[in-house]
Amino acid sequence: MLDTLLFLIADGVTNGAVYGLLALSLIVIYTVTRVVNIAQGEYVTLGALSFASALSGTFSVLSAIVAGGLAAFALKDIADRHLTGAMRIRIVLSRALWIFIVLATAWLANLLPGSYWLAVLASLVAIASLGALIYRLTVEPVSGASPIVLLIVSVGVYMVLHGTAVLIWGAEPRSVPPVVEGGVQLGPVFVTYQSLWICGASLVAMIALYLFSERTLTGQALQATAVNRTGAQLCGIPVGVAGQLSFAIGAGFSALSGLLLAPLITANYDMGLPIGLKGFVAAALGGIVEYPTALVGVLLVGLTESFSAYQVSAYRDVVVYLMVIPILLWRNAVRPPETHGN
Amino acid sequence: MRTTTKPGFIALGVSSLLAAASIAFLGSSSAAAQDKPELRIAAIIAVTGPASALGAPERNAVELFDKTWSSRTDLPFKIKVISYDDGSDPTKSVSLTRKAIEEDKVHVVVCCTTTPGSMAIIDTVSAAKVTMISMASSLSIVEPASARPFTFKTPTSDKLMLQRTLDYMKRQGIKKIGFFGLEDAYGEGGLKELQNVAKDTGAELAATERFARQDTNFTPQALRLKQAGLDAVYIHAIPPSADLAHEALKRVGYAGPIYHGGGSSINAFVDIGKANVEGAIVGVGALNVYDQIKQENPLRPVLAKFAELFDGVYGKGKVDLFAGQSWDAMMLAVNAYQSATASGAKADDLAAMRVAIKDAMEHTNDWPGVNGVFNITPTDHLGLDKRSTFLSQIKGGKFVLIEE
Repeated sequence: MLDTLLFLIADGVTNGAVYGLLALSLIVIYTVTRVVNIAQGEYVTLGALSFASALSGTFSVLSAIVAGGLAAFALKDIADRHLTGAMRIRIVLSRALWIFIVLATAWLANLLPGSYWLAVLASLVAIASLGALIYRLTVEPVSGASPIVLLIVSVGVYMVLHGTAVLIWGAEPRSVPPVVEGGVQLGPVFVTYQSLWICGASLVAMIALYLFSERTLTGQALQATAVNRTGAQLCGIPVGVAGQLSFAIGAGFSALSGLLLAPLITANYDMGLPIGLKGFVAAALGGIVEYPTALVGVLLVGLTESFSAYQVSAYRDVVVYLMVIPILLWRNAVRPPETHGN
Repeated sequence: MRTTTKPGFIALGVSSLLAAASIAFLGSSSAAAQDKPELRIAAIIAVTGPASALGAPERNAVELFDKTWSSRTDLPFKIKVISYDDGSDPTKSVSLTRKAIEEDKVHVVVCCTTTPGSMAIIDTVSAAKVTMISMASSLSIVEPASARPFTFKTPTSDKLMLQRTLDYMKRQGIKKIGFFGLEDAYGEGGLKELQNVAKDTGAELAATERFARQDTNFTPQALRLKQAGLDAVYIHAIPPSADLAHEALKRVGYAGPIYHGGGSSINAFVDIGKANVEGAIVGVGALNVYDQIKQENPLRPVLAKFAELFDGVYGKGKVDLFAGQSWDAMMLAVNAYQSATASGAKADDLAAMRVAIKDAMEHTNDWPGVNGVFNITPTDHLGLDKRSTFLSQIKGGKFVLIEE
């Protein structure tokens, strides 16, 4: 019995770590831009698939698309008539560097097929840049719109990204090698090294995000935007850049979870949505704004999923998604809508 | 000025439209008069979506068929293949079927890859009196034949496969089995057949656990199966989830034999699972093991020819069972069209031709296909028997025939 318990906890925590990265992505994006991002799961898919193709040494079409998009927006920015010459040069240089990094990592991964960390880097850079691009393309033109408009926009983005994934990589699942083959026998439980990597990497990513937002000026600016958008703008924080940054962080985190998860369940174009939705359930516990509560939420979701799959395998997803109802009731009791700002 | 020109323009527009339409009409009717009659087949396949691992080889075989048959000039008729992707979505299967029947005016609908899709379109094809040939496994698609007169299918049924599998288990002394399968119509269909066949062979179905195609964690259910004290586990799923379920069983320390249904009889199963699925016992069709079956088997020449053709285009060793399922469906359609024409059906009467094709389908005798020898009758719309199923074991990344 104890064996079973340990097994279920080990798997619940591993899945929880994956959902945790998703929940954090959702919160970063929601707090800064007020977008409830339905498309979040697609970054998981794209991360896993672009990682798989970078690893096999094919030049990721996605990197080329992202670079093209960045170049297009760079041109649009330079075309702004209010800019001085010096500002133009600064924009050109910074954007050129950005595009160069996207292409160089993709090209290097292509040049040295099978180099694990280059592939990780190439995929993370490409997807994080894609996040920023998606923000500029879909959120910036309607920034300040009501959350419901932004939600619908994200549904559209989900459909486009979903289709793009099929278009670029096809529908066949791809198997992805783990960071380290094999696993370790922890007492009665066999834990794959990949599971440990997932937990470790999630933890490191979360700590890094915490340090970034608490200890750096950029992070503080991001927090300020999250707390009060107008106030931040009045203080001279470029809100648009903050939005791009939040989308880049969110997309990067989700891509990380995707490429960590891919060795366990293969990379396929359909993997993202359920993971994204479970991240939502976890984030809902923290009202999509509180990081620590969301982390409790991900453990809750991961473990509930694991245990309900053991007890009633036919209803495990029902149980997980049903959790939303008590969570919302509880949120409502703790912080009724009347107390919300505005 | 304006008021006088407007009607003039409209009149001009209408007359030019009419002229264009009449030219088009004349053009098409004169073309039909000169040309041979056309057999139109719609192939609606799940190229994307959860069943895409099965749909991809099926699409390849349809393309191969299109390439080799549409260009042939020695036939007394032409073949036109219309390909659609239903994205593994039964709702889309229905709308595409409707489109194929009404707009493309097809004679035969080859659809669908999945059991849910095939079940969904039955009403549509029955109402339009158009023959459909399914590539999905569940026997409930074609049974009872009296209620589904226009429905046929090519893959061997779960029932035949399970009969062979459970007979083999019985000889191995396996009594207590567990079911580990998908929770959709495919999995539930397999479970239902397993319950029936287990009752007949005297095996005990001691545990049933389910999972979904998109699950990320299979361990809890695997633990449950391990603790049920089973002699064998039967997995009824398709890759990649079939692989992941298999791996989960091994991970929790289950050491008994693991059997797979026909959904795993595909190269993707080995490609994804690699060393983890070594030793799995998989129910397969003749095509998976065509170079290992006995020389005197009547299927062997048909299989060898198809495998050669398919591998020639898509690479050596690429051929698998699912490619054969769409191939047989297309070939059966051609065969039925030929017999329908031979028995006097007129090609220019679409409705009569459609019914004639169905009648011809019901009189397919000893027709050697890739899936087995078809003997389709008005009461049996599958027409395959036990000769179409084999058991194999994964050894060295290959399906190796188990001699019985």
